[in-house]
Amino acid sequence: MGVIARRLAGHLARGIVMILVVATISFFIVRSIPGDPVAANVQKLIQQGMDPVAAEQATRVLYGFQPRGTLWHQYIDYMSGLFTFNLGQSVSHAGQPVTQVLGEAAKWTVLPVLAGTLLSFLVGIVLGVYAAIKRSGKLGDVLAISGSLLHGVPQYVLGLLLSAVFATLIPILPADGPVDILYEPGFNAGYLGSLAQHAVLPVATYALAAYGGWILAMKSSVVTVLGDDFILAAELRGMKRSIVFRYIARNAILPLFTILALSLGLLLGGAVFIERIFNYPGLGLLLLDSITMRDYALMGGAFLLITAAIIVANILADLFYSVIDPRVRGGEEVST
Amino acid sequence: MSERSEVTIKQSTAAREAAAPPRKEAPGVRISGLTVVYKTPAGELPAVRDVSLTLEPGSITGIVGESGSGKSTLALSLLNAVQPPGRISTGSVEIDGLGDVVGFRGERLRKARGQHIGYVFQAAQNSLNPLKTVGKQLLDLGRSHGVDDLRGLVREAKELLGRMGLDGARVLDSHQHELSGGMRQRVGIMLALVLNAHLVVLDEPTTALDMITQANILKIVREVHAERGLTTLVITHDIGVVAEVADRLAVMYGGRLVEQGPTRQVLAAPRHPYTRGLIKAIPRLVGDIDEAQALPGRPPTLVTVPKEGCVFRERCALRMDVCDTVDPQARVDEGAYGPRIVACHAVTVKERA
Repeated sequence: MGVIARRLAGHLARGIVMILVVATISFFIVRSIPGDPVAANVQKLIQQGMDPVAAEQATRVLYGFQPRGTLWHQYIDYMSGLFTFNLGQSVSHAGQPVTQVLGEAAKWTVLPVLAGTLLSFLVGIVLGVYAAIKRSGKLGDVLAISGSLLHGVPQYVLGLLLSAVFATLIPILPADGPVDILYEPGFNAGYLGSLAQHAVLPVATYALAAYGGWILAMKSSVVTVLGDDFILAAELRGMKRSIVFRYIARNAILPLFTILALSLGLLLGGAVFIERIFNYPGLGLLLLDSITMRDYALMGGAFLLITAAIIVANILADLFYSVIDPRVRGGEEVST
Repeated sequence: MSERSEVTIKQSTAAREAAAPPRKEAPGVRISGLTVVYKTPAGELPAVRDVSLTLEPGSITGIVGESGSGKSTLALSLLNAVQPPGRISTGSVEIDGLGDVVGFRGERLRKARGQHIGYVFQAAQNSLNPLKTVGKQLLDLGRSHGVDDLRGLVREAKELLGRMGLDGARVLDSHQHELSGGMRQRVGIMLALVLNAHLVVLDEPTTALDMITQANILKIVREVHAERGLTTLVITHDIGVVAEVADRLAVMYGGRLVEQGPTRQVLAAPRHPYTRGLIKAIPRLVGDIDEAQALPGRPPTLVTVPKEGCVFRERCALRMDVCDTVDPQARVDEGAYGPRIVACHAVTVKERA
């Protein structure tokens, strides 16, 4: 376990450095976008007859940060705030802390993305194995072609298509929003049912968009493992079919875990389109809104969260890998 | 070192006698008229054609041939394990105590593999699951064959590994990537023998091993063969390996057995022009390196192998008209050390004259 702990420490150190670098880059990029809401607010107050000092103070009270001062000052304030998880306040959300706004939105993104990805992962893996085993038959062809087709269609096209079919042509599912407002939020059947109903289309979009990739990746991975010597060796030793199947599955699924972790990280960013289509109040929609409103703190925070998610996903993938693959575990090698 | 291994031999013999498993005998194997074809765009082409070969109980037989001569396909046929797109089209493989394995399917075939026939993979190949320790794979093997006494199986495995000069406990605890080529090969031999199989097929057992390890493995093969009373088939492209271990030698070319006989006799007085060429191509330790002469031309592939007549005629110095059209029939001479068989028109003509 010592090896894994050391690995984790190294990953965390590297992850923190990467997050700081990304925070720096996003800080400056965000602030180089034309349009400055704080300056605009100060100007607005001055024009309303306030003297400049009072106007700045009022703005500071409203937004909670120093509107003047050089960019460097602001940068240092921002970075030191990072260490206490203080990402500033959101201009577009009446001065609420950015972390709170992000946290509020995150649950609407993380749960559907997780559900959609895991669903497509499971289905894609199982069908991928079939596609590999039956690769010379009709079933294999059908599966592989369905994978290629779905893999080629962009996420947002799938989203629009599903929305058009199941919310407009055959209106059996709600077209947008996370939940019907007529239900009291809480653990009651009506509210939860409405939540689930609204989640069906976004989750289905995530799942369908990813499914093609999984089935193709799993198929090629299984085909590679099937050609490996140790599978033939296991058969020639008279191993049971179920055991040989486990050997194949475990070896073939290995490279896919990396893709799974990465795609979970990436999907937080990719949710922009889907949440827009289904008007889902998650991180993607929040990011879009914050850009329109020039809400620097919120923009920076959203970028940072997406980056952090990818970095954390990477670390988890690597750690998981070292648990399931003895070759990565390293340690004392005798020879190769 | 040698003292210790002798002690181990005695102990292991004693242990085996005490445990008294259903004593299996070294089985005889009769391959007759075996043809294996591969499906290609050009139709089904034979990789092994009309091969007949007898493995006497308790003997070590070596099959020598170049790459593509069909020797590995022949070895796989013994387990009825020719991989698609190949299949056994005609012929039979009769194994004492089992029957004709060519007809075996499903569970019956699976159980024959491992319990009756042990297969040792080419050393260069990775015959172990990279994600599991050797020990866990040993247990998988035991469970596959309904072994109740898994502890006994582990004990037997450790004993076998120790017999081959390895630290059994440590090897069972290792993953494939933690073992050297020579160690992996010994693990392969252990897995082939641990279920008490008495027919063992070794496919290129020493390819890709260094000379010292190679010599070690061959010594182990010989000793284990004698101790456990096995019938052994060794497939190799290295005539030196056969000279080292085999009682009988069979030479394969273009999917046919062209010559077979007691190893010493064949090596000392080869009769088939291909066997002669093979032996001439070996560089000697003493003498001029130029004395070694490579056979001119190249071996046929599945596609280029002649469909009728002698498969070797393109490279043969003794080629006659009859070689183009008529398959040379195997000519059997019974001798004191077993039959010598050669399939060559030129040899037959010369001896008749």
